[in-house]
Amino acid sequence: MLSIKNLHASVEGKEILKGINLEIKAGEVHAIMGPNGSGKSTLSQVLAGNEAFEVTEGEITLNGENLLELETEERAREGIFLAFQYPVEIPGVSNLQFLRTAVNAMRQHKGQDEMNAAEFMKLAKEISKQVDLDPSFLKRGVNEGFSGGEKKRNEILQALLLQPKLAILDETDSGLDIDALKVVSDGVNALRAEDRAILMVTHYQRLLNHIVPDYVHVLAGGKIIKSGGRELALELEERGYGWLGIKDEEPADSTAN
Amino acid sequence: MKPAPTLSTAFLHPAGQSLPEPLLALRKQRGTALVDMPLPTRKTENWKYSSKYLKLTDDMAISLPAEGKTGSSLAVPGYKVAFLNGVMMPEACEYPDLDGISIQSFSDLSDEDASDLADRLDSTLDNKAVQMARLNSARFEDGLLIRLKPDAVLDQPLFIVHEVTAEASGSAFPRIFVDAGRHSQITLVEEYISSGSAPVMVNTVTEFNVAEGANITSIRLNMEGENVQHIGSTGVVQQRSSRFESHTVGFGGPLRRHDLQVRLEGEGAECKLNGVVVTQGKQHYDNHTTIEHVAAHCNSEETYRNIAADQSHAVFNGRIHIHQDAQKSNADMNNKNLLLSNGAEIDTKPELEIYADDVKCAHGATIGQLDETSLFYLVSRGIGRREANVLLTMAFINELVEQIPVEAVRETVQGRLNHFFEQTFQEA
Repeated sequence: MLSIKNLHASVEGKEILKGINLEIKAGEVHAIMGPNGSGKSTLSQVLAGNEAFEVTEGEITLNGENLLELETEERAREGIFLAFQYPVEIPGVSNLQFLRTAVNAMRQHKGQDEMNAAEFMKLAKEISKQVDLDPSFLKRGVNEGFSGGEKKRNEILQALLLQPKLAILDETDSGLDIDALKVVSDGVNALRAEDRAILMVTHYQRLLNHIVPDYVHVLAGGKIIKSGGRELALELEERGYGWLGIKDEEPADSTAN
Repeated sequence: MKPAPTLSTAFLHPAGQSLPEPLLALRKQRGTALVDMPLPTRKTENWKYSSKYLKLTDDMAISLPAEGKTGSSLAVPGYKVAFLNGVMMPEACEYPDLDGISIQSFSDLSDEDASDLADRLDSTLDNKAVQMARLNSARFEDGLLIRLKPDAVLDQPLFIVHEVTAEASGSAFPRIFVDAGRHSQITLVEEYISSGSAPVMVNTVTEFNVAEGANITSIRLNMEGENVQHIGSTGVVQQRSSRFESHTVGFGGPLRRHDLQVRLEGEGAECKLNGVVVTQGKQHYDNHTTIEHVAAHCNSEETYRNIAADQSHAVFNGRIHIHQDAQKSNADMNNKNLLLSNGAEIDTKPELEIYADDVKCAHGATIGQLDETSLFYLVSRGIGRREANVLLTMAFINELVEQIPVEAVRETVQGRLNHFFEQTFQEA
């Protein structure tokens, strides 16, 4: 589904990604772990098409289509979804209006009729329940005054509404208490499907107790330096990043958070 | 040194003589006082950013004829008064006989009422600060007098549609005086529209005399064409425990100027002033507001938003003057500005003068652009760039549009905004 070859990317002239290679097939769940500053978030942003990051070399294809030639909104319509590490607050745009506009943009792209306000309200309320977000949050400004956990649940709510082909979760576990982590993980697990891939970017392995990945990759210094199965994450938890020859100021376990 | 420009004498000759004698006399007196009136220049402090847009040529001095059809009469849910080129058109007005409320054209006033009115016209305005309002006093051909007896309540909004027909150059001088008795209530909508394309000047004065406990809502919609220079002045004087709420929505033009002056003269009076301005192309818009806290225990709350696209220019100047005896005043002024292009210009200036020591006074002004992070967030959900821009721009003024208490006005405003968005944001 997603194929990344020799990806190099810079921000403000500084190279962050230095040759990433990654293949993700439909139905798979991949986790990318790594210390702070390793380039994890850069990779997420580059996949979503943030223009602040410049791709200098390499290629990314989604089901054979060159992703780098598509604008952010076109990538989203082709099925890329990024759950933001720091979801943006947008006062003055209601969450409901935002979500409906997004869903209808997708539907229009697929040649489907737009959903009217009543139909959409029904759907949005159901999914709000699924991520344990009170429907009153639909009426508020986008993420406006939401707690950290509420923002993350709102991200998962969007993923469930938009039904992407590839969901990228950027540090979705950060700032969550154990109950919220459970709700968010249940939401992500509900996304798991044969025709969908999930890419989780995380510093800590605790999320992987709830969302069990098929593959784990370690990103350091802008490159994937080790790949393995689930057990690699457990090993990182036990031994930190140090044994891989990486300097990291924080251990990769969950208790520190 | 070049002598300061003065108002051309061509502007000092009113045409219509159909007003009652006391008003004709007043007009003549005001006209005499205008001889050699200096015109604002960039050295005139309160016209610093706007004088270059003021272009009064002699062919604009003549009053536009008060005849013809009121063409683009909008469907109005409520009561309606129609003015054409500053003169009331009785056949286009729709309002019933109302208990305790009189709505009359100046021309229809008895000499006694006209004499009373002549004593009070201009009384709500500081003429030094609104130089151009004096021209209206020397030139008005008609006007609307609304009188509410104590406790009278108008049950529906009253729409006052001021249309100018610019078939040829000229000017119009719409005038409104509202005398709101104790505990009376009214919602007024002033709508300024135009047809035709000749360069014209519209110079308006609206005055509100708000007695104790009265509750006034004033909505002002400026939607005239690209050929209309509009100079408007609104004066408000409020007595004890009265409330004045204003909603100004303006779309730019070659010159748009509105001065709003509120005097809180009675204890416990409060005013709430909201304003939205949208400019594009090479348009201009300038809002100058003054709130005089004269009495103690008064509240004022002011929120203005400007959006400037292309090479347009928006100005906001908000003055709050808290007099020595106005203890326990509570004043809050906020002006936020959104630049949609590098070529646009916004000037904002808060002016606070505080002479009382026990007051709360807050003010804030910002100028910014659409937030790239928010834009990326929206498009990352598949929302088109154009639509994302519209959502974010609308978010900037949504709160103020939603507060306009008349649905038909909100719809009109939204329609005009949609038109603005279509011209301003193209699909990538």
